[in-house]
Amino acid sequence: MAIYETVVILDSLLPAKEIDDAVDRFSQIITENGGTIRKVDKWGKRRLAYEIQKKQYGFYVAIEFEGEGNIPKALQSEYNYTDPVLRYLTYRYDKHQLKAMAKAAKMQASLEVASTAAEAPAETPAPEAVEEKTEAPAAESAVEETPVEETAAKSETEVTEEAGAEEENAAEAPAEEASTEEEKND
Amino acid sequence: MIKQRKKRNCPFTEAGIIYIDFKDEKLLKKYLTEQGKIIPRHTSGASAKMQRQLARAVKRARHLALIPFVTDFTR
Repeated sequence: MAIYETVVILDSLLPAKEIDDAVDRFSQIITENGGTIRKVDKWGKRRLAYEIQKKQYGFYVAIEFEGEGNIPKALQSEYNYTDPVLRYLTYRYDKHQLKAMAKAAKMQASLEVASTAAEAPAETPAPEAVEEKTEAPAAESAVEETPVEETAAKSETEVTEEAGAEEENAAEAPAEEASTEEEKND
Repeated sequence: MIKQRKKRNCPFTEAGIIYIDFKDEKLLKKYLTEQGKIIPRHTSGASAKMQRQLARAVKRARHLALIPFVTDFTR
C-alpha cells in the first residue's frame, strides 16, 4: 500500500453543491477500489497562474489516500469523463516526502510527550509514544520502494512537453540579453 | 591566475528542508528567474539531490497552474 495524493482543479463557476458531489464521486472511486481516504483538503477558489480552457480561476481540491496502483488509473478515467475538471495531478509520496512526514510526526509526538511530561513527571510513557509513531512510517517507506511510479511519470511527461513548447517562445529573450551584456563587458 | 569560485552551501540543507513541497509556491518562486525558469544550481548553490527535488516540485506546480510556465515582460 502506498500513499497517494490527487489534486484536481475544478471549474470555479460550478455551484458549491456540484463541487461536493464531484468530490464525493472521486472519493467513492477510491474506496471502491480498495483504498482508504486519509484527508480531503479543499483549497478553495484560486487564481490560475495561466489560463486553462479560457478560465482565470479554478477550485482546487486535494485528496490524500492510501491504496494500490490501480486507483490512479481509475481516477484518471473518471477525470477524463468529468467535464468541469480543468487539470489533475495524482502522485505517489516518494521517500523524501515520507521521511519529512515521519519527522513531522516525531516532532508532534515529542511535543505531546513534553507537554504530558510537564504535567506528570513520570518518564515511562514518553519513549513508548515516540517509538510507536516512528515505527509506522518507517514500515510504510519500505513498501514504497516497489515501482508503481506510473502516474507520477505520466503527469511529469505531460508537464515537460508543455514546458518545452512554451519555453521556445521565451528562448529568444535571454539570448538578446546575453549579447548586450557581452558588449558592455567589452 | 585561476579565479576561485566562492563556495556556496545548499540553501535547503542549511534551512533543514528535507522535502520540497510543490504547494509551497513562495519557496519555489525564490528559485525561479523573473521569466519563470529554474535557477541553475551553480547559482543557487543547491545540492544535486535538492535540485532534483526542486525541479520536480516546480514542474508539478506548473502543471497545476500554481506558478507560470513563462512570464512575458514587455519591453
